[in-house]
Amino acid sequence: MIYGDRNTGILVQGATGQQGAFHIQYMNAYARSVGGRGVVAGVTPGKGGQEVHGVPVYDSVRKAVADHDIGAAVIFVPAAAAPDSIMEEAHAGIPVIVAITERIPVHDTMKAIAYARMEGAAVIGPNCPGLISPGEVKLGIIPAHLASRGPVGVISRSGTLTYEVIHELTRAGIGQSTVVGIGGDPVIGQTFTDVLERFRHDPATKAVVVIGEVGGALEEEGVAATALPVVGYIAGVSAPPEKRMGHAGAIVEGGEGDAASKIRRMEALGVPVAQRVAEIPALVKELL
Amino acid sequence: MRLLECEAKEIYARYGIPIPKGVRVKAGEKIPDLAGIGPELVLKAQVEVGGRGKAGGILPATPADAARVAEELFRKEIRGVPVREILIEEKLPIRHEYYLSILVDRSTRQPLILFAEAGGVDIEQAAKETPGAVRRVTISPLLSDVPPFALRDLLGGRVKEFGPVVNRLWKVFREKDAMLAEVNPLVTTDRGVFAADAKLIVDDNALGRQGITVNRDLTPREREAESHGFSYVELDGNIGVIGNGAGLTMATLDLIQYYGGAAANFLDVGGGADQERVKHAVRLVAGRPGVSVILVNLLGGITRCDDVARGILDAGVPQTVMVRLAGTNEEEGKKILDGRGYPMFATMDEAVKAAVEAGA
Repeated sequence: MIYGDRNTGILVQGATGQQGAFHIQYMNAYARSVGGRGVVAGVTPGKGGQEVHGVPVYDSVRKAVADHDIGAAVIFVPAAAAPDSIMEEAHAGIPVIVAITERIPVHDTMKAIAYARMEGAAVIGPNCPGLISPGEVKLGIIPAHLASRGPVGVISRSGTLTYEVIHELTRAGIGQSTVVGIGGDPVIGQTFTDVLERFRHDPATKAVVVIGEVGGALEEEGVAATALPVVGYIAGVSAPPEKRMGHAGAIVEGGEGDAASKIRRMEALGVPVAQRVAEIPALVKELL
Repeated sequence: MRLLECEAKEIYARYGIPIPKGVRVKAGEKIPDLAGIGPELVLKAQVEVGGRGKAGGILPATPADAARVAEELFRKEIRGVPVREILIEEKLPIRHEYYLSILVDRSTRQPLILFAEAGGVDIEQAAKETPGAVRRVTISPLLSDVPPFALRDLLGGRVKEFGPVVNRLWKVFREKDAMLAEVNPLVTTDRGVFAADAKLIVDDNALGRQGITVNRDLTPREREAESHGFSYVELDGNIGVIGNGAGLTMATLDLIQYYGGAAANFLDVGGGADQERVKHAVRLVAGRPGVSVILVNLLGGITRCDDVARGILDAGVPQTVMVRLAGTNEEEGKKILDGRGYPMFATMDEAVKAAVEAGA
């Protein structure tokens, strides 16, 4: 539990949209199964007074927080509106903001994240699946049935690759404390460094799997700054340079951020790095 | 998307950054009268690749022999890219070359301005060889101007000389959604400061609002894929790959390489892909010459495996399609493909191994 627990009230921005409504159902089904509060309010400007799967919808975050105790927000609005949603939630004092939205222009993301930091909010994403603390809370879209409760934290820039990893961990009998998808964009709010720092203060977490990919240096920076036992995996070993591999942030530019150098730097820090996803559970077991 | 030098310079000029006198000439066009540009000229191939000078893409000329030199340049390929346009510029009387750029810094999540006293060179190399040669200042993305203190940190005693250029480049960076706005070299002359070269990379997620309709960084097939909502990259191998999610698809390519095979492409169908999209994806991958086997690796979260299975069936491509489906409606999906000649696998490793063997 590093960003919320079963007592966290969740706000969904874009509640009346197809995505928002769909995932309100799933987040609340999960909340019911673990005895959590789940989604307590939705926001869609102009649609205040409606209900989505029993959740009251408000015109603004300010109105929603006046009526409910809200600890986290999840954003499903389109790219053009998402930066405003991040700032609106930060301004209203919501401490954890998960931005699922993809394709937000980077300059908008930089501004929204800078503003949120001034307001003291942690932004997870954008372009991310959110997080799940098995048995406690689900903030976002990670398929809950793949996860199981246990001592291993997972941090990843990817969505489905994260699901693959937790699927493998669960099959190997290794549960997860919290799984965080931090997002595939070049600029993201919470980086490996930030999440590892939260895991360091989390008594439930004994080891962490860092799932990175080509582009940037956030993986190495995070691993270098933590004392926690870490297992690494880097996607994109076969990625050609100067080509964007699906994620806006997954690109080897100017000879920087390639998988081989990332793996080398992580191994130099004493971190075992799996060559295949299927190797991750065995490497984790050695650390536990 | 990376703009051409001439496009970047036109933008810089609109923001008040001085650029050399020059004219753009496309292949097949007549060279205009160059007398007004200068007695000594530089002809520069307009290609979206780095290291252009070293690759012979920049040639000196005079107004008298410019047509001949231009012809020579148009016949060239610069690092594999044909020259379709050149920029003919005055040769500046350079006193000194500097380096200036503004980029999106992933680590601080904020813009970073770089300045160096030595320009015209590979700046990463310069930074490695002489620590401290490149000065770096992080600026909040919320500021509309670069504050004076930051200019002093960045420029030392040259605030008066370069401060205005830095602030104008800052406006370009912000207003043009730049991932990188670079001037290398930024030169001083008797006539003042000029951007002798220009590099501007626009955020792909902001092309629409920047009025850019075609992403030239992509091949035609990559553009077609994008219009279907796929992320697609062409590679050199023979195993066609379809996955959902960028990370999982990349990991699939890596695993193909690990088992000794070579992927023909990267294709991420995106979240919540339905029957129709999967059909398009399979056909797109299968339609490329040299693809001998196809591997579909999908982990259904929002994506439903039965939809995927129907899409694969609808596509009806001649190649063998190896399938690994896991997640939502997995059993229904497997039932749809069962007995119809689609080898199915429980894990990624098994599926990749089989595809590599079939493609060998």
